[in-house]
Amino acid sequence: MARQIDISKLVDEMKAAASEVLNKDVTTFRGFSERQVKAIAQQTKLVAMGIANGQITEETREFFLDSLEDMALNFAKTLRGLLMVTIEKVWNAVVGVIWKAIASATGIALPTPE
Amino acid sequence: MRSSATTGLATILSAALLLLVTACATKLAPNYDKALVDGLISTNVKLMEFFASTSSGTTSDTFATRKKTYSNIIGRLDALVIQSRARPIPTNDITEKVNKYLEKKGVQILDGGDTPSATALEKISETMSKMRDTDIKQGVTAFEVAAFKGQVVIFMDQAMTYESFLER
Repeated sequence: MARQIDISKLVDEMKAAASEVLNKDVTTFRGFSERQVKAIAQQTKLVAMGIANGQITEETREFFLDSLEDMALNFAKTLRGLLMVTIEKVWNAVVGVIWKAIASATGIALPTPE
Repeated sequence: MRSSATTGLATILSAALLLLVTACATKLAPNYDKALVDGLISTNVKLMEFFASTSSGTTSDTFATRKKTYSNIIGRLDALVIQSRARPIPTNDITEKVNKYLEKKGVQILDGGDTPSATALEKISETMSKMRDTDIKQGVTAFEVAAFKGQVVIFMDQAMTYESFLER
């Protein structure tokens, strides 16, 4: 016999599932961003100093300057990549909760979505 | 009677929701590859050992003593790029929806055709190739070694963070 789904309980469970993923992943985002921003700033300073004092030669100057831009761009792309993984995890966690609620309401044993 | 009708409706709704859910479990990023992560870790060690050995700068007349190490490191990096790109990248409606949402919010869409780790590894390979070519031509100053190292560390952090994060 089918049972009613408790909407408020289901909403709370979906929120909890999403929060669990987000809280954990935000720590990774923050740590990665801080490391990258500091490292790119230090690299910028190093390249500027090297060019000013002649220790970075004509041979490598353009390469290092172009690379600063590449680093910043791929930093943004990496953050986007991490975000996609988190969206996937949140999505699947929420779907998992819905799945469980349906299984409970219908009495049908459902496999966990992958 | 009403109770029976309500129960029937709930069952139909649940079934409809079930069909929706069946289509919803999704994958938005490539699979985790432990062999690739292990390769990143061991290559990172080789890179840092090499930078430690050249930190005082180099001269072109001693390049021959470093030639094999350059080849070894660049070869490893290129192999890792191939390994990273060999994995299928999931593309689906959800990715498109996320991109459209970001576009609406004024966030520029960065082309998603390549994994950021593959790009980072390719840039590390280019960095080491540039260092090798400069080393052959005129040697590398200590300052330049520090700049090459700084660049490699930044790109390696991007590659390692992304690849490790795929373990979910």
